[in-house]
Amino acid sequence: MSLDERITPEQAATQVGTASGENKEYSVIGKSVGRIDGRAKVTGQAKYTGDLKFPGMLYGKILTSPHAHARILSIDTSEAEKLPGVKAVITHKDVPSLKYGISPARWDENIFCIDKVLFVGDKVAAVAAVDEETVYKALKLIKVEYEVLPAVLDPLKAMDEGQAQLHEDYPRNLNTEIHQSFGDVDKALAEAYHVRTDYFVGQRAYQSPIEPHSAISVWEDDKLTVYSSTQSPHYFQYYIARQFGLPMGKVRVLKTHIGGGFGGKLEPTGLEFAGAVLAKLTGRPVKMFYDRHEMFAHNRGRHRQYMKLSTGVDQNGKILGVHADFVMDGGAYTSLGVASAYYAGALLTILYDFDNYKFDMYRVYTNLPACGAQRGHGHPQPRFAFESHLDNIAKDLGIDPIELRLRNARKANTVTPNDFKVESCALTEAIEKARDISNWKQKRSHRPQGRGIGIGLGAFVSGAGYPIYRTNLPHASAVIKVNEDGSSATLYTGAVDIGQGSDTILCQMAAEAMGYSFAKMQIISADTEAAPHDFGAYASRQTLMSGWAVKEAGEEIKAQLLNTAAGIMGYAVEELDCRDERIFVKDQPEISKSFAEVAKEFFVTQGPLVGKGSYTPPKLGGKFKGAAVGTSPAYSFAAQVTEVEVDEETGEVKIVEAWDVHDCGKVINPALLHAQVHGAFYMGMGEAVWEEVKFDDQGRILNSNLAEYRLPTALDMPKFHSELVDSYEPNAPWGVKEVGEGATTPTMGSISNAIFDAIGVRISSLPMSYEKVWRALKEKRKQQTT
Amino acid sequence: MYLPDFDYYAPDSVAEACSLLAEHGPKAKILAGGTDLLHKMKHGELAPEVVVSLNNLNALKEIRYEQGRGLIIGARATQNDLATSPVIQEKYRSISEAAHHMANNQIRHIGTVGGNIVNAVPSADLPPILMALGALIQLVGPTGKRTMLLEEFFLGVHQTRIQGDEILTEIIIPEQGFTGSTYIRFGLRRSGALAVASTAVSVTMDGEICRGLRIALGAAAPVPMRARAAEAVLLNRKITDELLEEAGVQAAQESRPRNSIRGSEEYRRDLIRVLTRRALKKAITEGHV
Ligand SMILES: Cc1cc2nc3c(=O)[nH]c(=O)nc-3n(C[C@H](O)[C@H](O)[C@H](O)COP(=O)(O)OP(=O)(O)OC[C@H]3O[C@@H](n4cnc5c(N)ncnc54)[C@H](O)[C@@H]3O)c2cc1C
Repeated sequence: MSLDERITPEQAATQVGTASGENKEYSVIGKSVGRIDGRAKVTGQAKYTGDLKFPGMLYGKILTSPHAHARILSIDTSEAEKLPGVKAVITHKDVPSLKYGISPARWDENIFCIDKVLFVGDKVAAVAAVDEETVYKALKLIKVEYEVLPAVLDPLKAMDEGQAQLHEDYPRNLNTEIHQSFGDVDKALAEAYHVRTDYFVGQRAYQSPIEPHSAISVWEDDKLTVYSSTQSPHYFQYYIARQFGLPMGKVRVLKTHIGGGFGGKLEPTGLEFAGAVLAKLTGRPVKMFYDRHEMFAHNRGRHRQYMKLSTGVDQNGKILGVHADFVMDGGAYTSLGVASAYYAGALLTILYDFDNYKFDMYRVYTNLPACGAQRGHGHPQPRFAFESHLDNIAKDLGIDPIELRLRNARKANTVTPNDFKVESCALTEAIEKARDISNWKQKRSHRPQGRGIGIGLGAFVSGAGYPIYRTNLPHASAVIKVNEDGSSATLYTGAVDIGQGSDTILCQMAAEAMGYSFAKMQIISADTEAAPHDFGAYASRQTLMSGWAVKEAGEEIKAQLLNTAAGIMGYAVEELDCRDERIFVKDQPEISKSFAEVAKEFFVTQGPLVGKGSYTPPKLGGKFKGAAVGTSPAYSFAAQVTEVEVDEETGEVKIVEAWDVHDCGKVINPALLHAQVHGAFYMGMGEAVWEEVKFDDQGRILNSNLAEYRLPTALDMPKFHSELVDSYEPNAPWGVKEVGEGATTPTMGSISNAIFDAIGVRISSLPMSYEKVWRALKEKRKQQTT
Repeated sequence: MYLPDFDYYAPDSVAEACSLLAEHGPKAKILAGGTDLLHKMKHGELAPEVVVSLNNLNALKEIRYEQGRGLIIGARATQNDLATSPVIQEKYRSISEAAHHMANNQIRHIGTVGGNIVNAVPSADLPPILMALGALIQLVGPTGKRTMLLEEFFLGVHQTRIQGDEILTEIIIPEQGFTGSTYIRFGLRRSGALAVASTAVSVTMDGEICRGLRIALGAAAPVPMRARAAEAVLLNRKITDELLEEAGVQAAQESRPRNSIRGSEEYRRDLIRVLTRRALKKAITEGHV
């Protein structure tokens, strides 16, 4: 499908006569139909990878390093091999030594460590045995002799001379270095009325999906099937095939139901590689899984970023230029970190309209678990920093924070200094609505002791403009097959439902495009053999990108049906339409035929009724280094207001109430959308106040469990309002945009600003824990008395 | 994360349980709700060869009021039993509230008051309120039973005066004429977080004069502790807000909290000051809450 086939907002508006272009007469989309997998999940019928069992299946586990940095002197697996029930023990000698990673620019991981281990949790060996208990026992019997090396645990020191080096190819532990400059920041700051510099620090957070990572590998002759708890069967298929030198057609990756991913299940986990080798050696299916501690150790969670921001504004608070100077702790490997590093700076330009921008970033290696993509990717911490920074500026200038944002808010049909084209943008409306529904003005002017209210804005890509590795494959594709008698239709798509509900909304979209009904849709998704290619669930891409492919497939079905109907009914194709399973004459709707009847006739005369679609985004972005990261066909926008109550004696932060207003284009399923916003707020709130992965001075995780890694509970959740503004995105099917990740980006900023409003002191590091708030208040009192 | 192998007994009487314990000595462990014991066994911190379950001893689940003796709580009563017991709610709602706000619902359904006491960790929620109410505990062994003040039971982290062949059977709160009591815990989220600091108090007020009180602190020292210096600040004095603050400062001073990933020593100490003052105020003005 080419760009010009899509309707513009103006065309859409004239077609249906509303300002946003929304067609009020859609019959399937725009409705909160129940989840297609809801019944299976609530009744416990839904099978997750960990629930699957195969005849003769073995259980496997990976032995990991107890040291943050050490040379492997020897590995003795003989005792483990002798344990009854153990079927195979493997080390680096038994697997390909080809380096892999998810970011092709930096393939720096091996299936098992060869010479050195680089963090506590690095992979050393694996065992397959008849049951889990035996596997755990066998792991203890593998003897690894290490020579412990000095470790680098502090990212700010990692680049210094004389520090231990993790990877030979990366001197001074510099994994990714970025220097981007647009316009003339120095001049802008020099000429500004007011320049402010602030320094913020994020924390290492972890996705904590409720379902642990797992993979079951099964060989039939030379074909490998991997059942995996993954966000992207495609990338797994690509990397598994590459590791073992197999054609992609000999590797089938599929998922069952998934209990959340949030970015942590996007890249190979090691379980699928080790499992494939163990399964090959033993000739039996092998189930590999991480327990909760191992999930934390494998990690790939949110990077800790050190963020220095300098901004110049004029007298009215108009932003003239911004300099972002960041360091991020990457951990021992690249993971998705190259992209995270670019995203950190790239998306800082999206919300506010300014011309001069400079971004410097150093992503450094440390002897800690690797960090990767977590909901919102590199954006949430810089967004927290920028939103806090902006409120500091508002205070300096004596301008209301919402007023300051309104003066700088991005408008529709603009281009950012780093060349992102923004078409739909209802940010101003979102800010105004958040202000009004939260009763901002009243609350800002009369606040009881300890109470505070703050605003934060957020935004995100609706799918990345470019895939993770270089390829010209379409980003999404879909096939729809109507059953012979027209009584059901099946959508085949590579899109991955990890709990967010894509299976449901894609079926709604298919039914809408076909003129069919949701209740008769079925779906086969995320199976590299049974469904056509799609890159998967990341970068908030599926509603827009998979949606395009599904729409095209559905429309092809409809076109074929109308053609057949025209023959039967004796009308021209143009005179007919199909909706809600009825094909009718547009001018005389009472003349109609059922979808099923015509579909059956089609099958009898022409064979299978199949529609297909695919989507490739247009070429996006500028020409500078890293220009691809942050490009997207469309951007979502959000304004969030949060009210907090701080116990000024104990530092306890209670989130009292929050209001989120989203510009996410046309909404396909309001209930699922609001659920995403609720979940995203919950996650952002956890990172704002509670969550942090902590290490001791040997690089060992101190809180790799859900008791001490404190996700908020239902009781911590405030009263929450999720609202929308009217919006229509011309580059998207039916005008949709993303919501999954963008909704988590404003939260830390809005909570930070609410706490600032409540106590008058800025907590500049995450999480804004009770003890930090208590300490800040103590300092404040000390300063007031001296 | 697997349990080591062990022999399992579920005796039908306290006497039988005691003789099993006597027979197996230090190799045996008592199992109540198992929320602490099984966790330790799975993590390799304990590997008893024999586990003696109290599961069949239903008499130990009883909660009742006996004229003359006071409130009697069986050691196997769960936290939710404490939270929902009409007898406790009527007499000392503060105990029900304390039980209701600890752990999370799943744990409260199986975790017992006996286990919470004998486990002997500084952050345990029930010892402070029971100590503040002057609780006695009854220990039964093969040769008979003995009763002691709960506050004298604790020796250190995971260390108590219980003998290897003894079972904690009941907790007794004698009638003492308190006018108010309460427990305030401070955790790092609203559910499922251990206390970083906690204070329990009981008071006997005579108009504005405080005629008797106990302050017990949790997570403030290796064992749940009485804050006697803080008590002395208030005893037989007319209560004012300034005096309550002074008692809080005193409690903070006599506490001996530790640094941990949940909170620094300095932070915990200040929390003890605040919680003590607030708990006193609440018990004085609101009764048993
Ligand atoms: C997720 C989670 C959250 C928790 N949160 C809290 C919390 O907020 N506050 C809190 O205080 N605790 C908490 N705990 C700890 C624990 O649940 C409680 O201490 C509980 O009351 C222990 O009781 P139990 O019956 O499960 O003890 P068990 O595990 O059965 O026993 C604990 C110890 O006491 C001994 N024992 C048990 N009963 C007797 C008896 N009658 N006589 C002699 N010895 C006995 C056992 O041998 C063992 O050594 C939590 C635990 C978990 C797993």
